[in-house]
Amino acid sequence: MSTAAAIGRTPVGKISASGRKWSELLLGAYLVLFFVYLFAPLLVMSLAAFNTYPQPSITQWQGWTLKWFGALADDQRILAGLVNSVLIGLGVIAAAIPLGLAGALLLTRVEGRYNGILYGVLVSPILTPGIILGISTLVFWRNFGVAGGLLLAGTAQATFIASYSMLMFMARLQRQDRTLEEAALDLGASPWLLFRRVTLPFLMPTIATAAVIGFLQSIENYNTTVFAIGGDWTLVTEIGSRFRFGLTPVINAIGVIFVILTIIGAIAWTILRQRE
Amino acid sequence: MRNLLAIYGRTLTAIICLMVLFWVLAMILVPQIAMLHNSLWWTEKSGDAAAVTLRIDALYNDIGVLELDLAAAGDDEKAKITAEIESKRSEIAELESKEVSARRVYGFANYTRMSALHFGIFVKTMFFSALVTVLALIVCYPIAFAAAQVFTGEKAALLMLGLVVPYAINELLRIYAWLMILDYQGVINSALAWMGLVDFSKGTAIPFLQSPGAVFAAMIYAYILFMVFPIYNTLETLDRNQLDAARDLGAATARIHWRVAIPHAKPGIAVGCIMTFMLSAGSYSVPQIMTRGQGGDWFSQLIYRQFFDANNWNIGAAYAFTLLVACLVFIFLVMRMFGVGIREIAR
Repeated sequence: MSTAAAIGRTPVGKISASGRKWSELLLGAYLVLFFVYLFAPLLVMSLAAFNTYPQPSITQWQGWTLKWFGALADDQRILAGLVNSVLIGLGVIAAAIPLGLAGALLLTRVEGRYNGILYGVLVSPILTPGIILGISTLVFWRNFGVAGGLLLAGTAQATFIASYSMLMFMARLQRQDRTLEEAALDLGASPWLLFRRVTLPFLMPTIATAAVIGFLQSIENYNTTVFAIGGDWTLVTEIGSRFRFGLTPVINAIGVIFVILTIIGAIAWTILRQRE
Repeated sequence: MRNLLAIYGRTLTAIICLMVLFWVLAMILVPQIAMLHNSLWWTEKSGDAAAVTLRIDALYNDIGVLELDLAAAGDDEKAKITAEIESKRSEIAELESKEVSARRVYGFANYTRMSALHFGIFVKTMFFSALVTVLALIVCYPIAFAAAQVFTGEKAALLMLGLVVPYAINELLRIYAWLMILDYQGVINSALAWMGLVDFSKGTAIPFLQSPGAVFAAMIYAYILFMVFPIYNTLETLDRNQLDAARDLGAATARIHWRVAIPHAKPGIAVGCIMTFMLSAGSYSVPQIMTRGQGGDWFSQLIYRQFFDANNWNIGAAYAFTLLVACLVFIFLVMRMFGVGIREIAR
């Protein structure tokens, strides 16, 4: 029986060995192609930031320049948009982190019949198209006389960013050692003290991660913001409106800065993950 | 609830519950209901009412002109012009009190009145979003599998880095890159001209941006990575021994994927499909940038126009609700197809 199995296996093993080499080669080629597809367009977009030609282009090359970065530094609307983006981002963190934490505490600590429904409702903003969140916020707050602007854009963003932070908190809370809290209670700690000295320190790393990710999501958001921003603007909605009027390589210069910041951030993130 | 009370006491528990209540009601549910409610009524204006509105607009125009006159007029004329402005103001006040009483009518007309053109745009948007989803799934599965199971250590980390960078770069900029590629004097047409296939001076270059294919191409590029990460997350938890066992038992590569890897990755595939479809169908950024307001509209642009150009919030809300229902139906179908629940979907 064992010899039969050995005889049966050897040729299969041989075929699959050479077959695996081929499939690895094929996979390698596929990956190279995919990454060319991912990065070539970004290269095209970045390169045009250094072209003297006043229209964004890499085919009508008129020489290298850094003038578009200078023009960017003088662009008051874009700078004001950046300030607005940061303001909204900070506000969104301040609202979304407590909401997400409250939702996560309620869902992990309470075994109720309606847990499933509550969970579905609290994650639904992630699965809802961004424009719908912007529109429903706009329509709802009009009843109270609040018009589109920074406040409503932040509110609409916080709705779904809170859901993302809730998922992060839930993942962390499921790994928590509950006996620590019980011990603190037995030793006579008040609920506030317990929350401040036991629960919060345990959640601190997640709060930091959720804050960074939430802030980035807020700054980058376009589809929700554009419906709720009214007459105001953020960095990203200002970029969006430039495609109609006044598209110059200044936008490409912003692109270059975004690409560089993203690469630095992603490398830092990868190194941090490796260390863990 | 007792658990929460026992640990955090009444005050903290109350705060937690109130915050969740506010989030659920004031931010999630009631705004959606408000949108639905808005889509179910419209103001009916009789012919008279329309005339009244026109008359009011005309009066406001007159006042604007008179105020300019007032600034330029001499002292003797000022009193006369001021009196005229006052009389127009009172007429406006009287007319506006009538206008406010325009009738609010409830019904489904905001939905049923959708023109054939708009319905066609809705179908086009749904069709291309589904196509983006299917294509992204086919393209991304091998990538996610390679990142999760084939490569290890440094190589896997580098692969992830290569995926994270384009994923994290702003959506608008990624779409913009494709605008530059497909533009009339963009990269592709310039390459074709260089090869002598098209000629700008004769106008034979290909107007890519006028076809929905341009929006489609940018959509795939913008949202493809939302398919990779959910699948990667589930495949990463697959024990490599299972794959080796299947191979040792003589299963061919295709069979290993079909019977072992893909069933394990089901929740990830479901999430990837839902995210990709939802982002594509609800994308305002891609059609807005790629058409630059000149190519044909997509459904999200129709909604935007109803709100901010036509100023008809009722029809806008109806269109938005239609989009929401379409996405819900898609989510439901995907959950049924892959046999996964909401708990597994959002993790």
